[in-house]
Amino acid sequence: MIFLLQKTLIFTIPLLIVALAGMYAERSGIINIALDGIMIFGSFFGALCAHILRQDPFFVDHNQLTFLIAMVLAAVSGAIFSLLLSFSAINLKADQTIGGTALNLLAPAITLFLIKLFFSKDALEMETAIGGDGKPVDFGFAILNEDMNPVGQVFFDKAYLSTFIAIGLFILLSVLIYKTKTGLRLRACGEHPQAAASVGINVNKMRYLGTTVSGALAGFGGYVYIATVANGTASGTVAGIGFLALAIMIFGNWKPLGIALGALLFGFLKCLSVIYTQINIEIGGEKIYFLNDLKLPMYFYNMIPYIAVLIVLAFTSKKSRAPKAEGIPYDKGAR
Amino acid sequence: MKKYLGIILCLAVVLACAVVFAACGESKPAESDTYKIAVVTDVGQLMDKGFNQGTYEGAKKYAEEHNISYKYYQPANGSDASDNDRIDAMKQAITNGAEIIVAPGFLQATAMSTVAEQNPNVKFVFVDGWALGKSKTTGYSYDNVTAIVYKEQESGYLAGYAAVMEGYTKLGFTGGGGGGNPAVNRFGYGFIQGAEAAAAEKGVNVEMKYSFMYGDTFSASTELQTQISGWYAAGTQVVFSCGGSMFQSVKSAAGEYPDAKIIGVDVDQSGESEKVITSAVKGLSVSVERVLGQYFDGKWDTELANKAQNLGAAEDSTGLPTDTWRLKNFTVEQYTEVLNKIKSGEIVPKSEVPEDVTAGLTKVTVTIEK
Repeated sequence: MIFLLQKTLIFTIPLLIVALAGMYAERSGIINIALDGIMIFGSFFGALCAHILRQDPFFVDHNQLTFLIAMVLAAVSGAIFSLLLSFSAINLKADQTIGGTALNLLAPAITLFLIKLFFSKDALEMETAIGGDGKPVDFGFAILNEDMNPVGQVFFDKAYLSTFIAIGLFILLSVLIYKTKTGLRLRACGEHPQAAASVGINVNKMRYLGTTVSGALAGFGGYVYIATVANGTASGTVAGIGFLALAIMIFGNWKPLGIALGALLFGFLKCLSVIYTQINIEIGGEKIYFLNDLKLPMYFYNMIPYIAVLIVLAFTSKKSRAPKAEGIPYDKGAR
Repeated sequence: MKKYLGIILCLAVVLACAVVFAACGESKPAESDTYKIAVVTDVGQLMDKGFNQGTYEGAKKYAEEHNISYKYYQPANGSDASDNDRIDAMKQAITNGAEIIVAPGFLQATAMSTVAEQNPNVKFVFVDGWALGKSKTTGYSYDNVTAIVYKEQESGYLAGYAAVMEGYTKLGFTGGGGGGNPAVNRFGYGFIQGAEAAAAEKGVNVEMKYSFMYGDTFSASTELQTQISGWYAAGTQVVFSCGGSMFQSVKSAAGEYPDAKIIGVDVDQSGESEKVITSAVKGLSVSVERVLGQYFDGKWDTELANKAQNLGAAEDSTGLPTDTWRLKNFTVEQYTEVLNKIKSGEIVPKSEVPEDVTAGLTKVTVTIEK
């Protein structure tokens, strides 16, 4: 049970942070369909950074510091990559969906090309390296803390630094968008940019801000995803997490709390679908693997999270309220 | 201004295309661009720290020592490569002047038989394969193909034996190929037999999880990592990771558990992680090197043509690397004793994997996850 909750949390974090990334862009009026591509880009640069840092024994011995630097770099690279989208969507007034799709196609191509070019591999792993004392040290960023009580274990055993940073960022950014002047202005640009402009808000600046924050979060989320759930390997794919995050954002009605709920639900189902064979309840000292005993094919369980999201979206779509001006290039003259 | 910029950009694109096409036109291989030894990889990546890499390194070592040109070819579409992709890769190798093509992986059978028949002068080394004999449809005798097979069950046996003798009682096995890869199946079945033998000797009961659920394409995945992570959480002490890049998933899962251990496969993987206690190796590199040697010494017709070599402990091609293992209770003397018994034929791990791998076990309880 503890294991299931631990894993749920780990699965949830990348979804949460990337869905929040989508929210920031869309609230400012830019559809960021490129989340997936930005994640791939960020994950590659994070992994590359870790790989380079780990050439030095000092960083091999200080895993958490390496992890932190790599996360920051992943966020920066994501932000820079997203500027391509901002530039095409804001300055050139191009179609945002097409611009985003271009980024989605570009990212895996660039990363795979670079990985093949420099490492002659299909994937960039963060490998075991030699530490300061001459012994090999594995790439491992998990914080182990087995002596906790069960509740503490869920949060602090086999936990990752990224989990705490992500939760902190989530709270910070939720407050920012609802309780600050900048947040209000950003939201206004996503609803009615002309009205915002009439009171002296620089719409383009706000949209750049929204998309760049979005890019940074997506890059960060991409690296967290590969470091915690996807084998510590950057391989030019994030298994469509970016698109899932978009669905979760819609499910969450472009609001942080809804997003958190959706990410948790999906993270839980996704986790369940993978380890259903191991879930058991103890009755009279005997372990009963009730899900495994149903003898259903594994593909059935693998489908569950996606079907669940589909159903939930179908039922909640009536109440769905997207930012009014999203996807429409800002035109000063329009009313 | 903008108009001129557009025209200039268009011209630049056209010019770039022209340069690329011109370069393509000239790409006929010059004499110095031929590669005599070719390696056409199996599914998974070249640098998988296992099967492909082991084969490639054998070829590379021989080629460098004897100053022969060599090159590797990866069939298109990566893990989803079809027979046509493999055929294309082999033809590409032949166009580039390959005299001998080393092709690891039993999946290459169809592609190899097609290309071998069309190019009787090019030699093929079928690693993990079998002698192709005569074609049923055309009657072509595949004298330009030689096969190398290994007794993986022996390595698996030794790994299982060592793990239980070391004191582990909760083991795991995760194999690639979805249960359809004969070599992986032999590794797994040998692992069970070895664990059973050691458990009987020590008088302990052993639990083993046995899975082919993830890793059909020998690649790492989120699902595999989570599954193995669950095993470790439920008390599994050591997991035998049997399949190329799947190691990455097992390693990531083991990273979350301080006492988790791993057994590597194909090549010595002790350098990949401090958690690797030993590796069930097969002498890929050495045997490829030897076969290349036999070929270049002109012994193809007498020793290799249409023959399969079945290499095992007696040929020093299976076993555990004792120099680098991290076992503490199981000694090299004990290991050598068992190894010698296998060499002499006193212990013969079964190579035929039965439908039900749990049949006949008394000390080992196997839980199959699928």
